Amino acid sequence: MLQYLVILLNNTSVAYCHADNPLKECSLMPLETLKKGILFGMKQNLMIQYVFPNYELPKEYAKVIESIDNVKIYPIGCKPVTGIEDGNNADVEVANEVPEKVEAKNLVLRLAFSEMLANKDEIAKLFASGARINLCITDVERFTDGQIEAYKQVLNEWDAILLNLYKQGQSPQFNLLSDRMMLEKMHNCEAGVSNITLAPNGKFYLCPAFYYDEQTKVDNQLNHHQPTSDNAVGDLENGLDIPNLQLLKLDHAPLCRNCDAYQCRRCLWLNRRLTWDLNTPSRQQCVMAHIERNASRALLNDIRKIGEFMPEIDIKEINYLDPFEVRKEF
Amino acid sequence: MSIKIKERQYNVWREGNAKNITFIVTKDCQLACKYCYLVGKNVKERMPWEVAKTFIDYVLDHETDPDFAYESVVWDFIGGEPFLEIELIDKICDYIKVELYRRNHHWFNSYRFSFSTNGINYHEKAVQDFIKKNRDHLSIGITIDGTEKKHDLNRVYKITEKGSYQDVVKNIPLWLEQFPGGGTKVTISSADIPYITESVLHLYSLGIHEVNINVVFEDVWQEGDDLKFEEQLMQLADAIIDDGYYQDYACSFFSEHIGKPMDPERDNQNWCGAGKMLSVDAAGNLYPCTRFAQYSLRDKEAWTIGNIHDGIDKNKLRPFLTLDRTTQSPQKCIECEVASGCAWCQGENFDAAQTHTVFERATAICLMHKARVRANNYYWNKLYRKLELEDLREQYEANKREVKPEIC
Ligand code: SF4
Ligand code: SF4
Repeated sequence: MLQYLVILLNNTSVAYCHADNPLKECSLMPLETLKKGILFGMKQNLMIQYVFPNYELPKEYAKVIESIDNVKIYPIGCKPVTGIEDGNNADVEVANEVPEKVEAKNLVLRLAFSEMLANKDEIAKLFASGARINLCITDVERFTDGQIEAYKQVLNEWDAILLNLYKQGQSPQFNLLSDRMMLEKMHNCEAGVSNITLAPNGKFYLCPAFYYDEQTKVDNQLNHHQPTSDNAVGDLENGLDIPNLQLLKLDHAPLCRNCDAYQCRRCLWLNRRLTWDLNTPSRQQCVMAHIERNASRALLNDIRKIGEFMPEIDIKEINYLDPFEVRKEF
Repeated sequence: MSIKIKERQYNVWREGNAKNITFIVTKDCQLACKYCYLVGKNVKERMPWEVAKTFIDYVLDHETDPDFAYESVVWDFIGGEPFLEIELIDKICDYIKVELYRRNHHWFNSYRFSFSTNGINYHEKAVQDFIKKNRDHLSIGITIDGTEKKHDLNRVYKITEKGSYQDVVKNIPLWLEQFPGGGTKVTISSADIPYITESVLHLYSLGIHEVNINVVFEDVWQEGDDLKFEEQLMQLADAIIDDGYYQDYACSFFSEHIGKPMDPERDNQNWCGAGKMLSVDAAGNLYPCTRFAQYSLRDKEAWTIGNIHDGIDKNKLRPFLTLDRTTQSPQKCIECEVASGCAWCQGENFDAAQTHTVFERATAICLMHKARVRANNYYWNKLYRKLELEDLREQYEANKREVKPEIC
């Protein structure tokens, strides 16, 4: 069921997930479109998440933006709009390098895999900040089997740091390691299913990345053809129209529906980019998610040595990293 | 009297554990068949030898890769019309044989060369020399659509639009002499329906004992076609049973295994083999099946899974290798009372899909399948009643062969 409406206030609104935003030309969502978007959200009973660019918006936007309860996603260090002082607990700061401190309750830290390794100690320092840290790898498509050990190792090191914090009575939240410990079922991105994105052009997209692709007519960087035509799935005038909606859902994803890497993003955009089918994940996504899952399992087991913790959660030992290898064959 | 019921023989090379590898040697053909799905046929794209050689080296270099860990291999040659490139094919086959031997490859002696031809230049020396040289590892099917009238309705020469029947039929005796069990493939489109019965009987009269018929998967059907189709199949059933053809001849329309409900868990396999097969075109692009090459697609861009230089991009195979029946089927098919035997083509599914996916099943043949099921039920009820009255039912049950559905 749809729950969230993501509104990209500008073409250059900050990228907060796997895909970079390649759009350079500043194009603010017209106020009229914004008002209609908010109205759509109200009628559909959706929580609105605004995504801000890295400059302050004109004052007349403040009133409209605040006409409804909302969450703000904005570049770190950038005051989204004058006149809005009190942040929401769910507000999200987005950083493309490791910040020294985190103001908001949530930080999205977007790093390439190599940057993550190079900054592992600085990242670890954030765990004690009290904020929820969401680390998002921006070059998943380039992850190779040769990097599996390096990923396991860095997660192990972070496991130890998180364990210490738990020992001190803290409850650090770090998406790659603590989410899976708390989950009893899939908790994925659910683009198009639980959330939908409204772009400055007044059209809906499954997520911002599909908008970027359409606007830049990007063929993917693997040098294959990729369908890039019209990615919109409706507009404010006619409402949503998502073809093959069922294929966005978990029960129509043959690998994911049998998987228990519940913390996995299950990124549809990466799926389409790497396997060409929205409901089929790439090896990269699956292997990374399983390394995280297994590291979460190890952390959970270690925490339980201190005392009772999430007794209802059971993460089984498995001997594969890619569910494709153990898929059901008919 | 002892009777022998002949049904379609299943190709052992596919039934067993065989990898299907297809060379699209040319996109050219002498004919311009009206139902041909190859929308992008052209005379330019002929496979250069270097492409073929690099591809073969790639395949044989990956002997232990799970994608190639099959006991045997079928090397398929298709076009356009493959025999237009007989010299190239001869060179390819020689190279394969030498390399299998030189590498002590597990496919040595476990391979087959397979052709589907329009039969027009079957008699020519180069083709005949090739057949003699490779006789023990060869299967060739000639496509003939039935009576002259039916055949020439669709299978016409380019430009002149002259029918090709006479040029094909003259090669049938030679072909049957060389391949006595040879079967033919017949494709039915809307305009062909009135000719089905006479066409099948005509093919039998030419000495062809095995007739594989399919209705096209594309959305070409007109209102009322299903009833006309049912009528034709019942006429055909009468002829086959009343005239005793069932003893020695087979027609793939009639099968005891079709028309039953299917269990969503147990009977969940995909129909087609796309993804387990591998095709290469003249440019060296690799495809999960030839139907995903650009010349076969109307509305979508080609679904390449790599090329001969970089190899297979395994991510691109994952959708194909995780496909199952229920995920791609609409609810009506999951609940369908007559679902078994209702086929689909992954390529047509992709081409007709609303989005870029292989998980949306096209069901343009729905009414045609239901009509086939009704006629098929009639066929078996009538045949069994006849056998019972003649006290031959038990004998039939004891001797009957299992018919497996044809997987493309
Ligand atoms: S790990 Fe792979 S199969 Fe599991 S949810 Fe993630 S993408 Fe799907
Ligand atoms: S296409 Fe029609 S006949 Fe075939 S399975 Fe679906 S509902 Fe049944």
